[in-house]
Amino acid sequence: MMWPDRRIIDLFKIEFPILLAPMAGAIDAEIAIAVAEGGGLPSVPCATISPEKAREQIKIVRQRVSSPINLNFFCHKAVGADPAREQLWRQRLAPYYREHGLDPAMTINAASRAPFDAAFCEVVEELKPEIVSFHFGLPEPGLLKRVKATGAIVMACATIVREAIWLEENGADVIIAQGAEAGGHRGMFLTDNIAEQPGTFALVPQVVDAVKVPVIAAGGIADGRGIAAAFALGAAGVQIGSAYLRCPESKVIALTRKMLAQAMDDSTVITNVLTGRPARGVVNRVMREVGPIAPEVPGFPHSATALGPLRQAAEKLGKVDFTSLWAGQAVRLGREMPAAELTRALAGAALARMSKLAS
Amino acid sequence: MPLETKLTKMLGIRHPILSAPMATIAGARLVEAVGEAGGFGILGGGYGDKAWLEQETAKLKSATVPFGIGFITWSMAKQPELLDIALAAKPRAIMLSFGDPKPFGPRIKAAGSLLICQVQTEEMAKDALDAGADILIAQGTEAGGHGASRTTLDIVPAIVDFAAGRVPVVAAGGLADGRGLAAMMMLGASGVLLGTRFYASVECEVEEEAKQRICAATGGNTARGVVFDLSRSIFWPAPFTLRALVNDHSRRWIGREVELMQNMATVSADYAAAKRARNFDIAGVFAGEAAGLIHDIPPAAEIVGRIVTEAEQIMSGKQNSAVMSRTAVTR
Repeated sequence: MMWPDRRIIDLFKIEFPILLAPMAGAIDAEIAIAVAEGGGLPSVPCATISPEKAREQIKIVRQRVSSPINLNFFCHKAVGADPAREQLWRQRLAPYYREHGLDPAMTINAASRAPFDAAFCEVVEELKPEIVSFHFGLPEPGLLKRVKATGAIVMACATIVREAIWLEENGADVIIAQGAEAGGHRGMFLTDNIAEQPGTFALVPQVVDAVKVPVIAAGGIADGRGIAAAFALGAAGVQIGSAYLRCPESKVIALTRKMLAQAMDDSTVITNVLTGRPARGVVNRVMREVGPIAPEVPGFPHSATALGPLRQAAEKLGKVDFTSLWAGQAVRLGREMPAAELTRALAGAALARMSKLAS
Repeated sequence: MPLETKLTKMLGIRHPILSAPMATIAGARLVEAVGEAGGFGILGGGYGDKAWLEQETAKLKSATVPFGIGFITWSMAKQPELLDIALAAKPRAIMLSFGDPKPFGPRIKAAGSLLICQVQTEEMAKDALDAGADILIAQGTEAGGHGASRTTLDIVPAIVDFAAGRVPVVAAGGLADGRGLAAMMMLGASGVLLGTRFYASVECEVEEEAKQRICAATGGNTARGVVFDLSRSIFWPAPFTLRALVNDHSRRWIGREVELMQNMATVSADYAAAKRARNFDIAGVFAGEAAGLIHDIPPAAEIVGRIVTEAEQIMSGKQNSAVMSRTAVTR
């Protein structure tokens, strides 16, 4: 049995239509290389790193594998810190500071999640990744034009049909349909209503109906049956994140790894507490006690600033009370095996499932 | 023939497609139409309106196809004599949703009917199997009407694994076409249960405008919550909430549920009046996220036929799902 839809395989020139989700902060070149070796599409997330670091990461991947590379960026509109909100947020967190022996008024380095800008665009122009993907919409037309001029395939994320149509109209070549199950930041950019975010199962066929470009399913997919189901719904590929988090090549710290291993299907929730934007992760203390949704949090990414010292102090005590544990609802399907092997196992299981049902 | 499953054999039907027991709008007419098309229709016994149940089961006396009768378990438990009325109609199966099925399992089975239980967690699946369930329905949060929080993509394989081949598992929530049926079979389900798709069918006993609103909606136009239940003065037990199309009423009250409860008498009176006046800016259309896949109001038999044809083509590899969808839209 072959893949029922080869558009993504042929467009990206990869063996299997499986994309490593660009999980900023949790992965780097090491796992990207392993996924490429396994026949999937390697992704390098740039949301939390500098242009210099991004250059270095691509070079590492290029040295090791001849595979195409997906370079991923956030393209939120950067907003300055609002001192009044920061102050309120500090006050809200002050009891936790005192509990950890920290001064609630201490000076803290601002959290940084740089949106795609001219400096990153130069990296793209210089190193020519085959695929460039964006979260939170698309960059401004001038920058997008420069990206497209490099010959890169542009991929972007939709959480509702309206966003998918907008992305296609504004130049996306491939659309990722991100269902509510997905871990990490919701890619939403034309809506802020979390309650109305459809699940993967309902979203994928509706996006497939609404756009002409190939659609990649993301959210809740972590095994062969999920991949087979996504193709039945009309997806031409899948993006998988949580299933890779416990691979030896991921950069997830030991404490988080333990939490992920214990997580059940109902352990995750969408929260805005950790960064100021809605994202799904395993529930920890600050999400439980302050959130999961708190209207008073400073805008993205500023809510993370005041959480920084708390995260460090708690981690020293062996706790993940303030640590981002981004993961989707399929987190318990994740396996501790090398990422190349996992990629091949996922593809094999999907193909076996599809051929069994066809016979 | 890839669509013959354990489920079709057990229910004596040709296609693994069940229509949901949508309270009082899935009447005998829809049930018979689905059954005659080779699927399995389930009468919407709902909360338990005795006169309605007697009237609709009387119509099914002459039915020549197998059918089911569904109840909201916690509500039916308050007037268990309704189960006797249902069993007297000789349904192939009784479907129980939302509540402990154990008190009713033995009576249903003693009367010669199969027990279908709809579940939203593994714990509920365990209770259902303890009650003697012959078929489990794994319902995801995408579903219209009442349900819980886990998604179809998560709960279906989880319940398939939990059932471990002991009973067939039917998938529900967010499905409306052949792609959905094929995908669910990929996840290990033996069939699908569809609500919203049959809501927008000729035979569903609901106002035409409500059906039209489903055709006009996209998947992002629904929300799950307690506003519509509170507005009808119905207190549902946790963890169940209701998904409906977003309208002026839900936009007004979502996020202000406490205030709604404080004003429940007034809100309920206004809501009831709006419902009588068929004002769907206030009255709810209880539809799932699959609303966005629904663009027409065909007879139920045509719905069953389309789904079967599409699913068979996808599963046999004859047709690509993405290509098919475009023909489906232009049809």
